Amino acid sequence: MEAQADQLVMLAVRDGDVERISVLFDRHHRMLFNFFLRLTTNRGLSEDLVQEVFFRMLKYRHTFQPGTNFTAWMYQIARNAHIDQMRKRRLEIVHDEEPDWGGVASADLNPHERMAHAQDISLLRRALARLPVEKRELLVLSRFQNLKYSEIAQILDCEIGAVKVRVYRAVRELGQIFSELSGEKAS
Amino acid sequence: MKCDEVREQLPDYWTSALDEIAIAQLQAHLASCPACRAEAETLSVIWKKLGAIPEEKPGRALRARFETTLEAYVQGLRRAERGPGTREKLDKWLDAWWPRQPAFQFGFALAFLAMGLLVGYTLTQNSRGGAEVARLREEVRNTRQLVALSLMQQQSASERLRGVDYSNRISQPDPQVLSALLHAVNYDQNVNVRLAALDALRPSAANTTVRRGLVESVDRQQSPLVQIALIDMLVDIREKEAADSLKDLTQEAGLNPDVRERAQWALEKLK
Repeated sequence: MEAQADQLVMLAVRDGDVERISVLFDRHHRMLFNFFLRLTTNRGLSEDLVQEVFFRMLKYRHTFQPGTNFTAWMYQIARNAHIDQMRKRRLEIVHDEEPDWGGVASADLNPHERMAHAQDISLLRRALARLPVEKRELLVLSRFQNLKYSEIAQILDCEIGAVKVRVYRAVRELGQIFSELSGEKAS
Repeated sequence: MKCDEVREQLPDYWTSALDEIAIAQLQAHLASCPACRAEAETLSVIWKKLGAIPEEKPGRALRARFETTLEAYVQGLRRAERGPGTREKLDKWLDAWWPRQPAFQFGFALAFLAMGLLVGYTLTQNSRGGAEVARLREEVRNTRQLVALSLMQQQSASERLRGVDYSNRISQPDPQVLSALLHAVNYDQNVNVRLAALDALRPSAANTTVRRGLVESVDRQQSPLVQIALIDMLVDIREKEAADSLKDLTQEAGLNPDVRERAQWALEKLK
């Protein structure tokens, strides 16, 4: 239902009612920010990239066709913005650098559990940062952005089966890095 | 179900995209395959943990920046709809004239430079510059006259001689300079100065004051050298008014015979 609404708004933007892009900003900027934050672990850079995505939406609004999945279209733009940015700044995630994350919400846990939970989250973030960027991107899209595999297939321009296999492999690699990091921590 | 198929099923299982039948088949395989079961458990834990990473909020500035960008974009669109402004049109027009080849650009630049130099030169010649030069010339002339006059009043004969010589450098001497020269011809004590002053007056012989002065000077001269030079000059400038003075001179007693002879010759010439 929401996807349908997004598509209509974007068509209106395409046809000249450009100010309505504010509606799309309200709905999606936070998700996009988290997408970039999980890819780059840098808040400032992520905000720049969100800005860039909406600017590109305006710039390429004529390419939006009726029947296009807006979310897939938006994430395609987001991916390209991120790729361009990486090329431009040759910025790769520096492993073990303290990422620019916020706090960990764990209100319903006791102090001991809360500490273990916070440690887990911290390790997981570091593990995620060590994952090759295309695998990290795949996990972010499927796990955090709650996109369907069919949408991810559209964004990445591949088969749904291929997306699932890649997600499986990415999770397995992340698990390996996570256990390695846990071992380092324990020893 | 084969072990390979589990790889495709698990991602669907994590996102609750499997139907009941598929879930049952997956669970049956995991129950019978310890390797797949171990892996599925580990990976499912990771997948679950990933979900615990909290979502972050962007800074408030992000919205303000977005609104600014949008506003600028909308303004840009409206400007584009109105068509290009005068400035843009002019820029475009000028741009169309500018050659693309660096060689032509260089040629263009040279041509403009030459034009600029020509215009500058013409302006300097015709207007302000010309007046400036004339003013400077006038100033130099005045200075020279001043120098000539002051030199002619010096005690030393050689200084006065220099003054006379200096007056030669003035293209059109003032009446004041001419009068000083005539004074020198008549009254200077030094013969050389009188002779030099006489020579200096030659270019101004068209001046009636000079001519009259020269004629009057005939009576005053005592030195034969100056007398002969004066007579020659009066003949040269064909001053017929000098005839009476010359006639008086020839009848003067005690006159140098050479002078008398020269004066008679002059009277013949000026007839």
